[in-house]
Amino acid sequence: MQRKLIAAFAALTATFSFTAVADTSSEDALDYRKAVMTALRGHIGASSMIARGLIEDDGHLLGHAQGLASGAAELGRIFQEGSNVGESEALPAIWEDAEGFAEAVADIQTAADAFVEAAETGDAAAIGAAFRSVGMGCRGCHDKYRQQD
Amino acid sequence: MLAAPVLLGQEDLVARGEYLAYAGGCISCHTEDIDHAVPLAGGRAMETPFGTFYSPNITPDEDTGIGGWSDDEFVNAFWEGVSPQGEHYFPSFPYTAYTGVSRDDLLAIKAYLFSLDPVVNASSDHNLVWYMDTRLAAGAWKALNFEPVRFEPDSLKDGQWNRGAYLVRHLGHCGECHTPRGVTGVLRDDEEFAGSEFGGEKVPNISTHRIDGIGRWSGSDIEYFLEIGMLPDGDFTGSSMVDVIENNTGKLTREDRLAIAAYLKSVEPVENTFQ
Repeated sequence: MQRKLIAAFAALTATFSFTAVADTSSEDALDYRKAVMTALRGHIGASSMIARGLIEDDGHLLGHAQGLASGAAELGRIFQEGSNVGESEALPAIWEDAEGFAEAVADIQTAADAFVEAAETGDAAAIGAAFRSVGMGCRGCHDKYRQQD
Repeated sequence: MLAAPVLLGQEDLVARGEYLAYAGGCISCHTEDIDHAVPLAGGRAMETPFGTFYSPNITPDEDTGIGGWSDDEFVNAFWEGVSPQGEHYFPSFPYTAYTGVSRDDLLAIKAYLFSLDPVVNASSDHNLVWYMDTRLAAGAWKALNFEPVRFEPDSLKDGQWNRGAYLVRHLGHCGECHTPRGVTGVLRDDEEFAGSEFGGEKVPNISTHRIDGIGRWSGSDIEYFLEIGMLPDGDFTGSSMVDVIENNTGKLTREDRLAIAAYLKSVEPVENTFQ
């Protein structure tokens, strides 16, 4: 019991090493994490409309794809060990099943990188397929590690 | 992999049956929810307010599966909700929806199931509340709530709408999760698709209500969601719907998904009954 109290206290006062220069408060870490996830959602929404042929790609699909890849690359650190704080939809499984979570993140990163490559080719079929893979990556992670309403 | 010699034309029937088995959600319900589960060998647990139901083995094993079933017995299970021994099924097997599936489609599904390797896996008994724990209770429930009925296309609607109605109301049985139930477990038809609760999870309102439901989604949004699970705001579902997308709607043709979307865009808007 005592160990749990100590761990809880430590979690409340935990700070994070997001940069080499300063430690980040847990509030800011959570805000940043949510901002990155929101940015990913925005890029997904925009990419999907181009991938489905509803919006013409005048060269901006690549930017959205790169935004996705950039956000995906941050997933490991924004959900790092000790970042299980505050109110969010993140499930404890992220930290309890760190290995599984890391695998899910790796899958998303692979799919996001492939999507950038597809966006570079401009080939509609390749873009559609690559976008679907990114979507499945997002979904696969949400399925296990995000709270449902 | 086929276990029996294939007759000319049989291959098409089996392929069609496989497609329909996905469209009917057979695979997900009759396969245990664990890694490396044997497909269709049963054992999946379904938590309900009446207790836990376990899906049976529907591979063609003679003793523990459906290997001994005739065509009529197979069709009757769906149309009348009775086993070959004449026992009543509980509506955890959604014959309440499947009753509208055509005989041709059912026999195609049977041909597909019978093309699989038989798997020996005895079905578990359901673990139910005392007052539901007999086939008599299932029979009573049916007498009060179930009317076997064939699907009749609506002649005032086009082919796409009718295909969508068939897929949503019957084969895909969407209402079984998305329509709220009364205290006896019967679907509240006047609140069709208004959302429900299942296994501790909230199931969304998919009526055309613009706030509580998906009324603001376009047909294209619905089709795309059913294909990959993306919501119009760019989010991706991670709920039990993932299973449906991976093993049911994601396996359909784009045409069938558009039919589902067309039908869903035509249903009545209904407010949420739950929060």
